[in-house]
Amino acid sequence: MTGIGLYNSLNVYLFIGLALLACGILGVVYRRTLISMLISIELIMNGAGLNLVAFNRFVAPESAYGMAFTLFIMGIAAAEAAIALAIIILILRRYRHVEGAKLKEMKD
Amino acid sequence: MIFADIIFVIIILITLGGALMTVLSGSIIYALMGLVTTMFGVAGLYIYLNAPFLAMMQILIYVGAISVLITFAIMLIGPLYKKPKEWSYPLKFILAAVVALFSFFVFAKVILKTQWTVLSKPFAISTKDIGRLLFDRLTFPFELISLVIVVAIIGAVMLSLYSRGEK
Repeated sequence: MTGIGLYNSLNVYLFIGLALLACGILGVVYRRTLISMLISIELIMNGAGLNLVAFNRFVAPESAYGMAFTLFIMGIAAAEAAIALAIIILILRRYRHVEGAKLKEMKD
Repeated sequence: MIFADIIFVIIILITLGGALMTVLSGSIIYALMGLVTTMFGVAGLYIYLNAPFLAMMQILIYVGAISVLITFAIMLIGPLYKKPKEWSYPLKFILAAVVALFSFFVFAKVILKTQWTVLSKPFAISTKDIGRLLFDRLTFPFELISLVIVVAIIGAVMLSLYSRGEK
């Protein structure tokens, strides 16, 4: 009894990464608070890492560069989350809110 | 192998459901729970891609570190009932959905049109190979990442310390 072997096709993983990217774009454009935008950016980074590992598994199976770069993406995501949360705390202290649409002092 | 297919479909549903919950939920803490669900789903996909080390790193770093960091930020921001709801007016949601669906269909067309040269070799990369690659070929980017993380942590501490006096 052989199944359909869905996990052995590259396109399935690419479409899951693409769905994560689309959800992340929707969140970045649509969400109001800055923390929700940061969470959506983490979604996009998850999709990118999934794409890299899928390409490493199916297109270049004899090297490990995709996995190494996914580890690098995780480190970059940690650093980016730390800096962004520090900036969000600063914005909260100065303006008493964390809404992205109300930060328009530089626009005037 | 039908059992592996069923588990794989369940993992895909967990991932996509977590992503939709992240985007569409009304409060920040539910969005964070959706993000954690998505990360667990992606860790399961890494296991299906023969990368168990990356699955463990995904759970340790994303679920263990970044989610706790975002949770602390949500706690520092204060009670959620004083904040405005995440749902803004519906025209903005329609426009954002148009943008997201447009990028989705463009990239889906690109994925379906490209002929990937899929090699059918067995995939046998162990954790030892990843470590050997990291400390042999990619030593300089590895050290650079550690420098970036140190600078980011020092910068976060300086930002939150030196702005306390002014106001």
